[in-house]
Amino acid sequence: MEREVLLDVRDLDVTFGERRKKYEAVKKVNFKIYKGETFGLVGESGSGKTTIGRAIMRIVPSCGGDILYKGDKINGRISAELDRKVIKEIQMIFQDPQASLNERAKVDYIISEGLMNMEKGLGEKERKKRVDQALLDVGLLPEFASRFPHEFSGGQRQRIGIARSLIMNPDFIIADEPISALDVSVRAQVLNLLGDMKKKRQITYLFIAHDLSVMRFITDRIAVIRKGEIVEMAETEELITHALHPYTRALLSAIPMPDPKHEKEKKLLVYDPSVHDYSWEKASWREIRPEHYVLANRKEAEEYKKLYKD
Amino acid sequence: MNQEKILEVNDLDIKFELRGKTLHAIRGISLDLYKGEILAIVGESGSGKSVFTKSFMGLLERNGYVDGGSAVYSGAEDRENVELTAVKREKDWLKIRGHEIAMIMQDPMTSLSPLKTIGVQIMEAVLLHQKVGHSEAKKRTLKYLMDVGIQDPEKRFDQYPHEFSGGMRQRVVIAIAIACNPQILICDEPTTALDVTIQAQILDLIKELRHKYRLSVILITHDLGVVANIADRVAVMYAGDIVEIGTCEDIFYDARHPYTWALLSSLPQVGVKGTDLFSIPGTPPNLYTEIKGDAFAPRNPQALKIDFVKRPPYFEVSPTHKAKTWLLDPRAPKVDPPPVVSKIRNGGLL
Repeated sequence: MEREVLLDVRDLDVTFGERRKKYEAVKKVNFKIYKGETFGLVGESGSGKTTIGRAIMRIVPSCGGDILYKGDKINGRISAELDRKVIKEIQMIFQDPQASLNERAKVDYIISEGLMNMEKGLGEKERKKRVDQALLDVGLLPEFASRFPHEFSGGQRQRIGIARSLIMNPDFIIADEPISALDVSVRAQVLNLLGDMKKKRQITYLFIAHDLSVMRFITDRIAVIRKGEIVEMAETEELITHALHPYTRALLSAIPMPDPKHEKEKKLLVYDPSVHDYSWEKASWREIRPEHYVLANRKEAEEYKKLYKD
Repeated sequence: MNQEKILEVNDLDIKFELRGKTLHAIRGISLDLYKGEILAIVGESGSGKSVFTKSFMGLLERNGYVDGGSAVYSGAEDRENVELTAVKREKDWLKIRGHEIAMIMQDPMTSLSPLKTIGVQIMEAVLLHQKVGHSEAKKRTLKYLMDVGIQDPEKRFDQYPHEFSGGMRQRVVIAIAIACNPQILICDEPTTALDVTIQAQILDLIKELRHKYRLSVILITHDLGVVANIADRVAVMYAGDIVEIGTCEDIFYDARHPYTWALLSSLPQVGVKGTDLFSIPGTPPNLYTEIKGDAFAPRNPQALKIDFVKRPPYFEVSPTHKAKTWLLDPRAPKVDPPPVVSKIRNGGLL
């Protein structure tokens, strides 16, 4: 079955600084996100996962490569018409609900700010109606519209952040660590909410996080990123049960599980980049198992193939 | 396990005065800390877990006070037992803070001074708490740096916090705490700000140091995966009270309190993809008003009538395991634990 590609990232480069102080945050990254799926980007802090999300949102400029959204190139110079379309259809949910909401604005304004900018002819009555509906959609009450962000708990604030992106009726949402700052019990609520929205509105997600246990629960496919390079990509269960790259395996071994016996017996794998010998042949992108890609040279690929023979 | 107590808390009450209202943050906690163990305290934010441990170090905000109960520290070698709730003067606290009980905070960036080299910051603790001269103090500082796993200590000694990564900074903070030569180490969410791989390393370090320096550790966290990794005993806290306490195995394989069940069920690790995760309905109770009965009852769909009337006492499940829930009363109807409990017990994860 041929799936419709919603977002196609090709050879994306993002570099900060110039000349001698140049820092390559994202190096030649390639991935596709299909319509209706939840795609996960996992990596440690400093790996460049947030930068990729921001590059797609066009918050940071890309230095090379293409980002194609529904077939149109959206990085670099684009037409005003496409610009408006992208602003409306791609929305973002931020990590820290404390920092991402305007403290001086009422919820009503926060949620409808996008609407007011994108749909100029909208009447006051219609706008109110949509805000109320957006609040209801995320499990809050319409009365909350007249309050300020500080009157809410962390979980409720994250819901406001979600309502603000949903009101635009987006096709694609980039969620950058949306639950990292939340408590265990509230996490479950927000995860459920995101899952619900996916079912009801066929929203496609790019989910950025460092926690593989959360990723396993919510994503369909995962790409593992390290120092600006994607090292492994596969369907979620495939990646977790048949991890190939040593870095992925190190990440997996570090997931804390709520099982004391398992935790006390577990052996922590530490990733050592010097295990790769790329002096005679550079690593490239190889499909080892069906739909399971890994960054490796020919010799490593052979070894990875043997890994799950039995 | 060595059963010698180092800290004995009895019926501790802590209140805060806020704009003319009284907030009852800790509602009669009794807890023993044994020598050499790692005790984890888990709970949601606002459950009072930080306030509880801060009271052992005299770090409560000015509007907070102990309103009853006792906390006896018996770890000092050269002194008699100290009743921590009776310590009032700052001068007396200085003998306990750091020297007997040390603390590691969540965010290493805010607990280190950006203006001093890390060597100076660690040495400051050595000079204050160990009666040694300058050159000996430096020698010991280098040893502490080695002990917490920082390579090349001579070079690192003269570096500033911004030259360290998050995990390395947390190691420095741990080194400072160790340099005070404490008996009890309180770790307040020590790994929340860190990546999973670094988190695992820091947890291993805490386990290693506990043996090396014969520490008793109180670990505050909301991550049950961390607890399973490191803790000997677990205390589950809800609305200013410990509702269940037991060994790590007791809590993960044989939980009895509905709140512990709810916490375990809401973990993404136990969720089934495509279905909703369990989430606890409602919000934690308002601690400004006096709570009647079991604090968790309003959020517990299976709550009994008595839960709304009378506060449950501790029921003993086994000598190491007790829980505050009427479900354990012999007259209570039989309520089965949710499937997640047996799922974890049978190793049904991953």
